[in-house]
Amino acid sequence: MAVSMQYYLLLSAAIFCIGVFGVLSRRNALVFLMSVELMLNAANINLVAFSYHWGNLTGQVFSLFTMALAAAEVAVGIGIILVLYRNFKGVDVTDATTMRW
Amino acid sequence: MTSRPRLATEKLNPVQGLAAVALFIVLALVFVTVQFGPSTGFSPDAHITASIGYALFNLAGADVASEGMLAAFEIIDVVLVAALVGAVLLARRENTEPATDGGQDVGKGGED
Repeated sequence: MAVSMQYYLLLSAAIFCIGVFGVLSRRNALVFLMSVELMLNAANINLVAFSYHWGNLTGQVFSLFTMALAAAEVAVGIGIILVLYRNFKGVDVTDATTMRW
Repeated sequence: MTSRPRLATEKLNPVQGLAAVALFIVLALVFVTVQFGPSTGFSPDAHITASIGYALFNLAGADVASEGMLAAFEIIDVVLVAALVGAVLLARRENTEPATDGGQDVGKGGED
């Protein structure tokens, strides 16, 4: 019935590595944001899995805070992407090479 | 110019893919060799969602043990408001003469 902890950890590691690969390889800022979300949610899987493992709810409650932080990060990130599109007519992250232009 | 997400058809750098796969292999090797023992789990008649609510507000009476998270709850409130204000500050246009250009290139140049 109960799934072994290793499978949760392997799923989390796989999702995290997909996120790392997305951040490393893609140049679209929106795909960047999605990859960062993948990495954050991989951490959430670990938190919930260990919460079940130890029979303690701290991990589940903390994953709620992680989701709220992810929402805040996406709000700021999409604002930055808007400014990026306005200034460069595109959302390629390699266009913006300086902090001010 | 539209810039929707597209399937990456350009030649990908294999080093990046190898780095991600190598990271996964290292993590997987660690995870499959460690011993966790049986999971404690939650009792079948425990109210999980109600216990999360009790934990969020430091209240007693939860079925499942947890730490109190009231301080983090209040701090995340401030962080969300700050992110909202930051997003509005970033997205607001400085010059308000064009209401919207519909995302099209209006030919005014992008030197502002």
